[in-house]
Amino acid sequence: MKKVLSFLLVALLVLGASSAFAEEVEIAVVPKALDNAIFLDAKTAAEEKGAELGVKIYWEGSPTSDAAAQVNVIESLIERQVDGILISCNDADALKDVIDRAVDAGIAVGCFDSDSPESKRAFYCGTDNYAIGKLSAEYMMEYLPEGGKVAILTGVLGAPNLEMRITGFKETLAAAGSPIEVLPVQTGEDDVQKSVEVVSQFTAANPDLAGWFFDGGWPYFADPDALPEVKAFMERGGRIVSIDTCEPMMQYVGLGMVDILIGQNYPTMGALGVETLYKIIKGEEVDLGDETNYIDTGYEIVDINNYEEVWAGKAPW
Amino acid sequence: MKTANGTESKGAPSFIRRVQQVSVFNIVLILAGMCLLLSIAVGGKFLSATNITSVVRQFSFYAIMATGMLLAIITGGIDLSSGSVFAFSSIITCLFIAKWDIPLLTGMPVLLRVILGVLLGMLSGAAFGYLNGALITLLKLPPFIATLGTMSIARGLSYGITGGYPIGSLPDQFKFIGLGTIGAGSVQIPTPIILMVVLALLFSFFLRKTILGRWVYAIGGNEEAARIAGVRVDRTKRIVYALCGLMSSIAGIATAARLGVGQSTAGQGYEMDAIAAVIIGGASVNGGVGTVLGSVLGAAIMGVLRNGLVLLNVSAYWQQAVLGVVIVVAVSFDKLQHDRKK
Repeated sequence: MKKVLSFLLVALLVLGASSAFAEEVEIAVVPKALDNAIFLDAKTAAEEKGAELGVKIYWEGSPTSDAAAQVNVIESLIERQVDGILISCNDADALKDVIDRAVDAGIAVGCFDSDSPESKRAFYCGTDNYAIGKLSAEYMMEYLPEGGKVAILTGVLGAPNLEMRITGFKETLAAAGSPIEVLPVQTGEDDVQKSVEVVSQFTAANPDLAGWFFDGGWPYFADPDALPEVKAFMERGGRIVSIDTCEPMMQYVGLGMVDILIGQNYPTMGALGVETLYKIIKGEEVDLGDETNYIDTGYEIVDINNYEEVWAGKAPW
Repeated sequence: MKTANGTESKGAPSFIRRVQQVSVFNIVLILAGMCLLLSIAVGGKFLSATNITSVVRQFSFYAIMATGMLLAIITGGIDLSSGSVFAFSSIITCLFIAKWDIPLLTGMPVLLRVILGVLLGMLSGAAFGYLNGALITLLKLPPFIATLGTMSIARGLSYGITGGYPIGSLPDQFKFIGLGTIGAGSVQIPTPIILMVVLALLFSFFLRKTILGRWVYAIGGNEEAARIAGVRVDRTKRIVYALCGLMSSIAGIATAARLGVGQSTAGQGYEMDAIAAVIIGGASVNGGVGTVLGSVLGAAIMGVLRNGLVLLNVSAYWQQAVLGVVIVVAVSFDKLQHDRKK
């Protein structure tokens, strides 16, 4: 009897183990915040890649950008023993410990969009924010060879990715000895209405303004009718370089209300991030980028010449 | 000021009026001083018709919200959910107008659909407000906690319904509420400014001339005394919070119309701007005191200040601190004047 019982027990265990083995891989994708529309393209791409690989994707995060809340989210994911976590960090240092704990617990962790370089994460895939600030400056210099006053619109002050773009922009202008004069930074606090009001009032009040650098495309989430000042600004020869290439922003290129959009490649970040994690979990050979395990997802450039093509390739919002 | 209570005695109403007039005078003084300084500093940039129109239109949304907030604050309460209700109602309106593709709606004339959508949005705001009132009066939750909860509920519902996506492609008939102008010939006044003035007049009349309005002050002055004097305290409070929700929804809908897009992230932190406008406008957080005119002027001070910082080319990294200093100075100035009067 005992033998039969132990046999049954072993059989059960084997069965249980094999069924666990057959279970699909679970990867949680954690954006900086659920309220930030910029991550939606990454979500769609991650879910599509998940469906393709047979991976269960969970889209989880804190309601607003908050490092402490994000730590709690990761802790709950460790409890749930997911197989992989792909995270955009609100704060590189604040997330380091909890990422290390996840890795120690056997979870494969990768960063996308915003890195925690000191942590034990396997890789970071995203845009080089300094590089897109630099690129923006290069376009601005091309547009304004004679110089002129250029204003900067930013979002929440102190966000590492935005500050890097501003630094890249300013340092490139300075290094090139450009005659462009950069005015004090203005903020719309990541809020569409505040961004629209600041840009409208500032543009109307500075008739000698030659250019705008939006280090995020907040004003272009609004309807073109809401930005008559920007339209007038472009008509009198003003130039605008803006980051982000979300679907609602495409129309602005066609309307001549922005010269160039430089987009971070969120679909690639989502898809490549999930795929790389999947390969790590499965023990497959995988490319982890350069010596710091940084995988550059590049950027996309949208101007009047290619906007229709790019637009057609974007899922409507 | 706790004795500023409409039901106490015959002399009380005139006493209220006197206090109100004094505090409004101070606020006008602060606002005029700011405008004068700005005119000297940046001259025509500030006084240009485009800039003034832009500033007034900008603060009209906050002023509408502040007028609702004022009611809650006069009763000695607060409504932290107003920024979230602002987003929730605007989303309901935008979805109804542009997204819900059921045959009944798509076959409807656009104008009718816009009107019904706006009414539905306003109703959703009033309903959220009424829920606040019910939690406060029936479950006896402190207003701070009750509205902190509904703040999260309204915001969460907004994210849930939209999945975070903004709602665009809104018809011109709707955008008129935020972007249009009303007037004759060359005198064209933006719709939101007219909306603000009409609502301010209505609420001013409500607070000063109706019995219910007096009850609102009475509750804030001394809730127990008001109850004994026959004021239907709980019912009045529920109406107050419903009106507060309604005003948040109107501000939210008008903002969505101004931007031509409804967003689940709209209005984050706007409740704090509304509270600041009401307090700058001479209301007391202890309740019983405050006027609609004061709150509108409070919102105007915030709007002019924000505009001034932009016109003066102050770096964004310093703007918050300056904004805070001016709020503290404005409220202190008002408080000192009151104390001297005493």
